[in-house]
Amino acid sequence: MNIIEIILSPLIALFTGIFFLGLARKIMARIHWRYGPPIYQPIIDIIRLFSQKAMSHGFIFEMGLILSLAGSILVILFLPIGTMCPLSTGGGLLVILYVMLLGPLGIALSGGEAANPNTSIGISRKFILALCYEVPLLLILLTVMTHYNTISIIKIVERQSINGWSFGSLPLLLSGISYVLILPAILGIRPFEVVGAAQEISSGPQAEYGGKYLAFNTIEHGLNEFIGIALFVNLFLGGGDLFGVFSRITNTVFGNIVGIIVFLLKMIIVFVMGLFINAVFPRFRIEQAIKYLWIWPTLLAFIGLIIVIIVN
Amino acid sequence: MEELKNNIKSSFDKVKITITDNIMIINIDKNGIVTILSFLKNIGYKHLALISCVDLIKDNKLEIIYIVSAYMDNDHEFKEKEKRNIIIKTRIPRDKPNFMTVMDIFENAEPYERELHELFGIYFQGHPRLTPLFLELEYEVPPFRKDFDTRKFVKDFYEDIPAVE
Amino acid sequence: MDRNQLKKWFKSPAKMGHKYSLHAIYFCTGCGIIEVPPSITARWDAERFGVIPVATPRQANLFLITGYVSTKTLKAIIRTYEQMPEPKFTVGFGSCPINGGMYWDSYNTIKKLDKYIPIDGWIAGCMPRPEAIFVAVTHLWTLIDKDMANGYKKYREKYKYYRANQEKIFGTLDWPPLFS
Repeated sequence: MNIIEIILSPLIALFTGIFFLGLARKIMARIHWRYGPPIYQPIIDIIRLFSQKAMSHGFIFEMGLILSLAGSILVILFLPIGTMCPLSTGGGLLVILYVMLLGPLGIALSGGEAANPNTSIGISRKFILALCYEVPLLLILLTVMTHYNTISIIKIVERQSINGWSFGSLPLLLSGISYVLILPAILGIRPFEVVGAAQEISSGPQAEYGGKYLAFNTIEHGLNEFIGIALFVNLFLGGGDLFGVFSRITNTVFGNIVGIIVFLLKMIIVFVMGLFINAVFPRFRIEQAIKYLWIWPTLLAFIGLIIVIIVN
Repeated sequence: MEELKNNIKSSFDKVKITITDNIMIINIDKNGIVTILSFLKNIGYKHLALISCVDLIKDNKLEIIYIVSAYMDNDHEFKEKEKRNIIIKTRIPRDKPNFMTVMDIFENAEPYERELHELFGIYFQGHPRLTPLFLELEYEVPPFRKDFDTRKFVKDFYEDIPAVE
Repeated sequence: MDRNQLKKWFKSPAKMGHKYSLHAIYFCTGCGIIEVPPSITARWDAERFGVIPVATPRQANLFLITGYVSTKTLKAIIRTYEQMPEPKFTVGFGSCPINGGMYWDSYNTIKKLDKYIPIDGWIAGCMPRPEAIFVAVTHLWTLIDKDMANGYKKYREKYKYYRANQEKIFGTLDWPPLFS
């Protein structure tokens, strides 16, 4: 049973990530009053990219990309998708927090080897942005861990199916709002699209990728989006369950499939709402992003932490 | 405008000034360019708008043209300070055109003189960087002169290159 | 448009992939670049064909040369063309790359661009309308189907002739030969 889950979980994440990329382009096109590409357009792009012969810059250039892919797949193995969680028994949240930074690190390694000044600027922006959203993210996770008195993400999901969503419970409301405020920074959509800015720094860290490296980078981008939204849905929206309705059929195969479908539906709703914000905002500069991310979401998360400590 | 004309006529010799529609054109000898430009800059004409050149092939001379104008600093002084463009022309011989640079007076003359150097062949003494600005090729006759045959150059240079099958 | 015929995808996925995902590099050559932004925005939508502009030549496979090419621009075009990964297609846009166009007797523009880099198709006009970009893209699809769009192979085989032509213009070039 476990082997099937280990193979199935990254596959679901892969297809969902690529589907999200295509869905993003289609919905943005419809908001602009034009027809867009078909939803399976990223698959066509990846097929085309695999048939191009690109130039490599060295050993670290290729290995950095593989490191970031490996880190993303490892995080996905620790996230519960519905009721399916291959590797996490206890202490899953700390491992996710730690390994989530392997993605940007791998891209930074290969971008540094590329010897292009645009990639260096892109990498520095990526790390500054990661530093900026890690501070409120750590406070939020600390709040959730204190409230539920556990560091296992499976137990958090189970408790939510009994008590109701974290977002709706009163002590965790401020943390939920703070997480919603930093979600665009984690996903890399506007107004925090400073990293992959196509017009300013010729698409940042992926400026030197061609051919198969760009294909892997696109897959990595899709996986990152999946991880960002999946963490939010699991912690705050009770991922995989609908107010405890399906708790009677949890351990059957049919119950697993329904749990996965409900989880993916919740992710699509969150992603589409993020796309609506992506459509209307311009791009912040990096110092405006720092000033925003270190003041308001941090303040809300801090107040939420104090409230939870007082209540418990 | 008239008082400026009398002012200049009394300070310099060998000038010829005409005023048409409030635009003053000064024709001066080539040795007096630096003095008249610094004189005009001290009065208030601080903006060098253009340096251009005309090829007069029949008189065997090149005519260099400077256009200066004044900044309108305050709008309420507009009426009394109705300074228009002042055009200064000199002529230099066409066979060996050497001239002085005016970068000591107006620093923004650097790209204009580079352009005149590569297109007309005028050498400016004292210019720090007389490298080509727009063109990549080398020409025997500078391209803007009137004895440069463009069709002959195109036929000799570009159509000679064979097409790749 | 046979994008949804699955049998063709299984027979030759690389060809179908190149047809329906032509990413054009955003290189603004001459006066023709004014016709490219209208074809990307909402009125004549180029994204439904799969054509979007990308920022670097490493990510692209279509090169639109829009407008006249002066000698300084030719250096940049050669360097950009040599950076693109291998199956790549170029389209000459406007009448100036074809035979000189309006600048047929100028001392500084390139008359026939075909002598310096290989070109797969031409679009006539001064400037062509944005719909002409779509005509070029659909014509390029038929050429890719019949295996006739191999300018990049010609560049690889006959590189010393192209390099000799380039060196006739510029003297010695700063970069070493691409294929030795």
